[in-house]
Amino acid sequence: MTFTGLVGRICMLPLQLIIRACVALRIHPNVLTFVGVLINVLAAWALGLGQFLTAGVIMIVANIFDFIDGKVAHELNAVSPFGGFWDSVIDRFSDISLFIGLIYLYSSLDRTDYVMITALAMMFAIMTSYTRARAESLIQKCKVGFMERPERIVLFMIGAFTNRMAAVLWVILVLSIFTVADRIIYTYRELRSTREAIA
Amino acid sequence: MKRAASLPARVLWNAFFWTYERATWQYDVMVIAILAFVWLTPPSWLGDPMASGSGPIGWLLEQAGR
Repeated sequence: MTFTGLVGRICMLPLQLIIRACVALRIHPNVLTFVGVLINVLAAWALGLGQFLTAGVIMIVANIFDFIDGKVAHELNAVSPFGGFWDSVIDRFSDISLFIGLIYLYSSLDRTDYVMITALAMMFAIMTSYTRARAESLIQKCKVGFMERPERIVLFMIGAFTNRMAAVLWVILVLSIFTVADRIIYTYRELRSTREAIA
Repeated sequence: MKRAASLPARVLWNAFFWTYERATWQYDVMVIAILAFVWLTPPSWLGDPMASGSGPIGWLLEQAGR
């Protein structure tokens, strides 16, 4: 058992209870997804005001909704293509809102350097999702690169709770650039090997 | 890159061109490296507009400078 595997298992215990409660109440997963993004907007608001601790707590609540929607959909047999699409679209709104909160904060502090770093991190975070979505319309799977959405969210929480958001933004930016590059290279190689196999 | 490269070069290559799953030992090492960077780097080195305190490395440097 790895360290991160153990952390994951511990976190799953309370989440299982919440999933069971949502299933018992027959809450539709698309509603959970939507509530998640609304709460994330509140977290972005708190980030914009520089209230990192409050933002961290709100992010935990928001991401519980984000995490459980898929599991509740499975339990309720409510998995649908639209649900997957809705979830992906709403996730982008959640991601972008957190970055916008930070851009607002740094611009109100007259820190154009961190406005740029946050904007670039936002751009590459979005491109991380886009490159995978576009790649998977051409090849079967493109799950390479470290900085995916769960890593980004956990890093945001760590940055908020420990007041080290600048370091977190640097990590998100650098690793997102590599993730995007990784996905482009991987897709190129996969398509080339398919073309060579046909030839 | 695979055979001819030195060990540090291969480690860097595998870290940035990531293909490992979550909850593997490689993932653990990456997480530890990231947490070390976030928590140990003195905020002043990054010009952090919000952080307070100098962090563990900054504190050690301050102690050494006394």
